[in-house]
Amino acid sequence: MTSIRSTRGWQRARFAAVSAAVATVLAGCAGGVGGSGDDASGDTLKFGLLAPFSGSESAFGEYMKNGAQMAVDEINADGGIDGKEIELVTEDDACDATTAVSAANKLVSQGIVASVGGYCSGATLPTLPIFLQAEVPMVIPAANSNALPESDQENVFLINGTGTQQAEAAVKFAQKEGATKVAVIDDSTDYSVDLADSFAEQASEAGLEIVEDATVTPKEKDYAAEANKIVGSGADFVYWTGYYQEGALINRQAKDAGYEGTFLVGDGSVDASFAEITGEGYTENVYGTFTQTPDMLEGAGDWIAEYKEKFGAEPGPYSTQSYDAVRVAAEAIKEAGTTDMAEVVDALHGLDGFETFAGPLTFTDQGTREQGGFAIVTIGDDGTFVLHDDLLDD
Amino acid sequence: MIALSTTSTRSPLRAPAPTRERPQRRRGWRSDEGFVRLLGALAFVFVLVLPFINASPYVISIMTSALIYVMLALGLNVVVGYAGLLDLGYIAFFAVGAYTSGILTTHFGWPMLFAVPGVIVACIVAGIIIGGPTLRLRSDYLAIVTLGFGEIIRLTANNLEITGGPSGIHGIPSWSFFGWDFADGVTVGGIFFNGKIVFYYFVALIVGAVGVVVVSRLARGKMGRAWKAVRDDEDAAEAMGINTYVTKITAYIIGAVWAGLAGQLMGTHLTAISPNSFQFLYSALILMAVVLGGMGSTPGVIIGALFVSLAPEFLREFSEWRFLLFGVLLVVTMIFRPSGIWPATAVLPWSKDKHVDDDDTDNDQDPRVVSREGFEKDAGAEGAADLLSGREGKGR
Amino acid sequence: MSQIILNGLFVGSFYALIALGYSMVYGIIKLLNFAHGDVYMIGAFVGFVTLTSFGGLTAAATVPTLILLILVAMIFTGLLGVGIERVAYRPLRTSPRLAVLITAVGMSFTLEYAVRQIFGPSPKAYPVRLSGGSLDLFGARVSTAQLALMGVAALLMVVLAFYVNKTREGRAMRAIALDPQASTLMGINVNGVIARVFFIGSALAGAAGVMAGAYYGSIDFLMGFVIGLKAFTAAVIGGIGNLYGAMLGGLTLGLLESFGSAWLGGEWRDVFSFACLILFLSFKPTGLLGARVVERM
Repeated sequence: MTSIRSTRGWQRARFAAVSAAVATVLAGCAGGVGGSGDDASGDTLKFGLLAPFSGSESAFGEYMKNGAQMAVDEINADGGIDGKEIELVTEDDACDATTAVSAANKLVSQGIVASVGGYCSGATLPTLPIFLQAEVPMVIPAANSNALPESDQENVFLINGTGTQQAEAAVKFAQKEGATKVAVIDDSTDYSVDLADSFAEQASEAGLEIVEDATVTPKEKDYAAEANKIVGSGADFVYWTGYYQEGALINRQAKDAGYEGTFLVGDGSVDASFAEITGEGYTENVYGTFTQTPDMLEGAGDWIAEYKEKFGAEPGPYSTQSYDAVRVAAEAIKEAGTTDMAEVVDALHGLDGFETFAGPLTFTDQGTREQGGFAIVTIGDDGTFVLHDDLLDD
Repeated sequence: MIALSTTSTRSPLRAPAPTRERPQRRRGWRSDEGFVRLLGALAFVFVLVLPFINASPYVISIMTSALIYVMLALGLNVVVGYAGLLDLGYIAFFAVGAYTSGILTTHFGWPMLFAVPGVIVACIVAGIIIGGPTLRLRSDYLAIVTLGFGEIIRLTANNLEITGGPSGIHGIPSWSFFGWDFADGVTVGGIFFNGKIVFYYFVALIVGAVGVVVVSRLARGKMGRAWKAVRDDEDAAEAMGINTYVTKITAYIIGAVWAGLAGQLMGTHLTAISPNSFQFLYSALILMAVVLGGMGSTPGVIIGALFVSLAPEFLREFSEWRFLLFGVLLVVTMIFRPSGIWPATAVLPWSKDKHVDDDDTDNDQDPRVVSREGFEKDAGAEGAADLLSGREGKGR
Repeated sequence: MSQIILNGLFVGSFYALIALGYSMVYGIIKLLNFAHGDVYMIGAFVGFVTLTSFGGLTAAATVPTLILLILVAMIFTGLLGVGIERVAYRPLRTSPRLAVLITAVGMSFTLEYAVRQIFGPSPKAYPVRLSGGSLDLFGARVSTAQLALMGVAALLMVVLAFYVNKTREGRAMRAIALDPQASTLMGINVNGVIARVFFIGSALAGAAGVMAGAYYGSIDFLMGFVIGLKAFTAAVIGGIGNLYGAMLGGLTLGLLESFGSAWLGGEWRDVFSFACLILFLSFKPTGLLGARVVERM
């Protein structure tokens, strides 16, 4: 026994010595705690984009990346920002907090000067302190949970209208349609619950009766229980705030159960697949609240054509918002003449009526847009959503 | 026992003398134990000096996550590797820990340290609720019940107000001890360590000291041997006087508490948690780490956890394909190498041809023969015969 | 009320079809085939591919097309089930339980993510839709499509019950469920019968997949995960290993869920059914019909 003990003791001493030596050598290396750290100098300005490229939401990541790349190419073709080219760096957040945090750190380590990503609110929230600490201004194209502006971080700006603004448009439309009894359904995701709560609140203020406020489990197929509740409640107006997969099923099953009123969907459901999944003969009376997309705007045909040529695919949800996010961030850096966060933030607040796809953009003190820019869309003959009412006439 | 051993030289119950002298156990770093210790020491040194090589937030962040994964995998190893209970909802306890600490610190303003007992209690309760009824049944029921339980926890967290609903909890504070907070950082010897690096060391300390040492000690103790007995043959273990139910539920609860503490660390690390991080996929990833690394083998499980957590960071394309690859790997591993990369019964390549001591010159001509006999006699080296047949291993 | 019951029975018939495969496999080799829910998903995708590659089918009349689709999917998934058994489970027949369970989990992942790599993560719209009028039945509104699907499910179950109880092959299955070794001694080709059980179970799941695709209209690579869990729950409620138990359990779970989500709200539906699973395992692990051991197969 004694011999073994002494061997162990000797080993310990040896390892301690080795480790001490290694540590001393390495302590001098740059990049370590004792070193100079990273800096963001270089000939290019890096814009970071966090979006889901894997997992169930991965389709949106591509749309966002392509939209942002369009703006980057455009700006670089015009000579970049004060002669410096923009480089788009993308990372996968998988719509998951853990992955998002490590991806945000990765972006920061690469020396980005602005963050133009953020799709899932749940994955975007934990990245806020990381970008703040790294002094990176954030222009978030898609995520729009009220928790984002409520975080009270000066560097957070939302391109997408918030739930409050979208709900406003929905309530306005409900009143226009002459609805009296409304039902609101969410899919228990962050964005959806937010929107549903805002809608319920504003609708009851506007004198509409909320006869049903339900939540469903996403990714299922059978929503007959909810469909029956809608019919049973006697609602003449339904607002679905979740995504199109479930929205289309609920629409169909509600109509099968005998519902005949208006079916309004939030922007997560405004997708050509809605009509496909809900099926022929079920697209009557389906409307959506949506920020205007290129195909609804006049003169945006060129933009779509260019997008198609570049990426060989149609632009999708949040392509335009990401495009705008890059342009907004670039404009602010140009105005500020520096990448210093405080000055860029000032420049962002200074933007007045910056032209975006969703209309002129001015940020509020909280970093949200002043006008939500939401319009009402409906399903056209080819199954895509087309503009129905821009809600600007009153 | 004492009386017997003191008089053993003259006792008629004396154990028969070995027919052949046992080969001397190898000493130093080339011995089985020594080599693992050497590797452990090297890993320890690496973890220690890493921030000196590269202290970018990214590296520190992924290494902290990787260490937490190691901790989770070590916990699951107790349940799956030692006790042989297939837990497919392990991430649920991780969630229970993360949410309990998150709620206690953000809603009630408790310091992180005080949340530790809360987390432990919550995990024990959850472990008893799930394990209590199902551990009496066949082990496959446990698998599916834990799978359902994982979904229950995730959905409940998603639906409740206090858990922050789908957006989860954010703004989780860091650890603080007696007025000093991790976020303040610390200056040692003129070098400033920021909060993230301090936290990284803290996690490393917990995982290294408590995780590796305690878990492997536990496995070697009376409890650990009972676990393995139950795993290998429940009926035989019962017949030997082991209370299999208590044994199993102890393993299950230790695993649960372990995951809960890992969850608490993860909550602090990310400062925010949301239900999306606790999907079944992540339970499967941890299981993958344990199975691939080698069930019941601490070094194997650590390697597995590092692989599972770090591989997607280094291989971008890989992250698209990883779940398919993991699925195939699970099947292939089970069919061709059920004991994993580093089996619990691993014998180092150079130890396979053990030389007998030099004075035993007769056998030097054919060391292979001796080595086999040495193995077979050395019954203490569990499963040596397994290694020779090359197919068996842990988890049976 | 009657509407809730009807909805429950409709969903329950899907659960029952899938639960049958779970229960048969468990009954005969005591294996929890985790990949079973994914076989259901594959069935839906087989139908999808068949439809999109033969465009003419979409234009054809709906009911014969659907029956043809179901047959194609049943053959494909049946063979897939046999393949899975041959590749992943047979080599481990004598291995410890844990190893087989882990293999089953791996198989489930492989199927899910292979489909994801091929078809992408976003849901696909099903090209053929079952539609038709609806009629009143005891005060509940039911569409003819629902009735037709419940009819198909019932027919499949009746055929299965006949096969297992009345034919020579069915007797061989029941014999193996009772005692595999003795069956071998009696000259039964155990491997052959096990393969057949996998074929039948997987074919039923495949049929359910096509039916779900045609009725609900959207399919995705994870659609089998939750329903697989539910089907297992159904099998446990009915008494796992028991043929009629699986049918009864499926319908019971459908009803429980329907009432559960009517009372608690849809967001608690899955929590409710998994809680039922845990309660059943705690208080009546043999299930509703589990005591009838003789009937096991």
